[in-house]
Amino acid sequence: MDAALRDLGELISASLGDAVSDFHVRNGELAVEVKRDSIVKVLSFLRDDVNCQFKLLVDICGVDYPSEEERFEVVYNLLSLTHNIRVRVKITTDEDTPVPSVIDVYNSANWMERETWDMYGIYFTGHPDLRRILTDYGFEGHPLRKDFPLTGYVELRYDDEQKRVVYEPVKLTQDFRSFDFLSPWEGVQSQLPGDEKADSTVDGGKGDAV
Amino acid sequence: MAETEIKNFNINFGPQHPAAHGVLRMVLEMDGEIVDRADPHIGLLHRGTEKLIEYKNYLQAVPYFDRLDYVAPQNQEHAFALAVEKLLNIEVPPRGQYIRVLYAEIGRILNHILNISSYAMDVGAMTPMLWAFEHREILMEFCERVCGARLHMAYFRPGGVAFDMPPGLAEDIAKWAEEFPAFIDDLETLLTENRIFKQRTVDIAVVSAEQCYDWGFSGPNLRASGIAWDLRKAQPYDVYDKMDFDIPIGKHGDCYDRYLVRMYEMRESVKIIQQCIEKMPAGSCKVDDQKISPPSRGDMKKSMESLIHHFKLYTEGYHVPAGETYTAVEAPKGEFAVFLVSDGTNKPYRCKIRAPGFAHMAAMEMMSKGHMLADVVAVIGSIDIVFGEIDR
Amino acid sequence: MGVETPQLAETASALPPGTAQDEILRRVTGELTDQGFVIANLDKLVNWARTGSLWPMTFGLACCAVEMIHAYMPRYDLDRFGVVPRPSPRQSDVLIVAGTLTNKMAPAFRKVYDQMAEPRYVISMGSCANGGGYYHYSYSVVRGCDRVVPVDVYVPGCPPTAEALVYGIMQLQKKIHRTGTLWR
Repeated sequence: MDAALRDLGELISASLGDAVSDFHVRNGELAVEVKRDSIVKVLSFLRDDVNCQFKLLVDICGVDYPSEEERFEVVYNLLSLTHNIRVRVKITTDEDTPVPSVIDVYNSANWMERETWDMYGIYFTGHPDLRRILTDYGFEGHPLRKDFPLTGYVELRYDDEQKRVVYEPVKLTQDFRSFDFLSPWEGVQSQLPGDEKADSTVDGGKGDAV
Repeated sequence: MAETEIKNFNINFGPQHPAAHGVLRMVLEMDGEIVDRADPHIGLLHRGTEKLIEYKNYLQAVPYFDRLDYVAPQNQEHAFALAVEKLLNIEVPPRGQYIRVLYAEIGRILNHILNISSYAMDVGAMTPMLWAFEHREILMEFCERVCGARLHMAYFRPGGVAFDMPPGLAEDIAKWAEEFPAFIDDLETLLTENRIFKQRTVDIAVVSAEQCYDWGFSGPNLRASGIAWDLRKAQPYDVYDKMDFDIPIGKHGDCYDRYLVRMYEMRESVKIIQQCIEKMPAGSCKVDDQKISPPSRGDMKKSMESLIHHFKLYTEGYHVPAGETYTAVEAPKGEFAVFLVSDGTNKPYRCKIRAPGFAHMAAMEMMSKGHMLADVVAVIGSIDIVFGEIDR
Repeated sequence: MGVETPQLAETASALPPGTAQDEILRRVTGELTDQGFVIANLDKLVNWARTGSLWPMTFGLACCAVEMIHAYMPRYDLDRFGVVPRPSPRQSDVLIVAGTLTNKMAPAFRKVYDQMAEPRYVISMGSCANGGGYYHYSYSVVRGCDRVVPVDVYVPGCPPTAEALVYGIMQLQKKIHRTGTLWR
């Protein structure tokens, strides 16, 4: 299976030239990394080529890697019913760079791109109707970004005086407890959580002495 | 004389409507009684599941999958368990796989009887609902007996299933499986040749095979358009490759065919259930790896090591090797998949849930355009949507 | 005029079927044929009527809706308590909040509540509606439906079984009897 996928990957990268930057087969799944601007060309090829026939676009999703230079990855999952194979096409982008919409290739991309816009703020050019889809009307921010807090910024309650629901800043009785499990005997981290506090107390102590 | 200007008007359908199957809001632009444009507003049940999963460890994330498509919870868990197992590179012992397939098929029947009966109720038949829910109760009892919960089982865990089946359960399921086809026959006498039901569904929202591809359809909705595609056959997972069953396909791709496909699928599911019980091997139902599956209560009382493993497992969980996978199962509604990205810690880095209903809902405008307002209800019923999974 | 029937007023709420109940019925019918009217406490009568026909609004939001439907269906059969689901808020007395209430849904939910006629009651079903539950820390979930509407009965569980909901409805009936006021 892996060999067949690798062959397919080679075929794709050979046919599309420098649009494909890399491909690899891991866990028995083929992933192709392509250039952002040629995504429409790549997907049209994958849909129409005799050896590919990826007629179903099953999913589009974003992944956020804040440490990368281009922090967002947009992942297109395709399925070929004829050959019974799946392929994953990936492009990268950042907050400001738009991605060409593939709505002309697959109609199903419509809502999936809307969702990706909603969740990550990745802008798709050429999309006819790029509105928010899942979050609240008038929601601010893009919730699945790693820098968006889990509990969000606003919460909601009914105000008896104004006779309508009002939004207020989040105030939790108990914060979400997030534990880290970097136990010292597993020795993966050079600096353990809490170490930085120890350093600062040492500094503070010195300051007092002087 | 100046012609009177005729203006289309908008109807706001939902978000609270008995036929909306949850919290769908649709803004319909009507030309008289004909739907001109349908704009579904979803997200009224958007609970931020994907974000929450990123903050929970792998075991704590399992119950979120129950709460996606709450009509057939088992099948969602199945996808997540398979995805984690793929990244962990472990294989579940045969008994665990058989139990999972057995319960996945029970989930399929749970889903289809709810869908068919509520769909029938939306187009005007009350009795199927009253009959079918008795069988849902029986099936939920089976769920309760195996894991203690009627609905949200949290039973399929990465590495197998939570507990083994109690004695006597397999016999009871076998007995029920023998009686159930008679119930499907009864249900068919109510609906299949029912004149009103046919008038409401035949030739409504016809979807061609090409349109199915274009809109990303899957599951019964895809098969109703004549495409023989089932992940259980095409990309078998667990022990589906050892099962003997057929894939019913439709011919016209209309609402009626979608109903028929589901009806026949239930019969096939019963076959799979019977085969599972017949072939069920003895042995362990979860992997023999103390780092992934918890030790038994008895072991914990005797062995210090088991106690430590138990503690570690339920506080820290297990670390999943870095990597990513897209793992799909044939859920009752279609292709349900999990795109899981792991960064080597005990929490998923990203867990994208691919819900079949999302693609079907997106095609709502295409399907209801040019039909009457009353047909919109039939379309919603026939594509089998549940908002838990669409909005996530 | 008329005969005082204190037993009737006192016991009308909680008398199980049996000889004692038959006795009261016989006396009431006797009085009716005798003089053409009976006397009872108005508030007790009103509460009896209210508890006997609690029509809930079908407000299924999420998972709990499935259990709620199960409670209406033949095995649990809420019909026998006079609980008949209504699709319109104008006709219903109880709002069963079955499922997670999200920020996007909350205004619509409040609107449904506002449309209901007094006296109206709210049953919050399941941990999501009670306090956010499993989704408490989410950015898009209302942490308990009591932030939006006043709640009478909380049914715990995730989801509560159909039996638990039936019990919750019976608790609400009890509450209506106990408070026993005409105006709410």
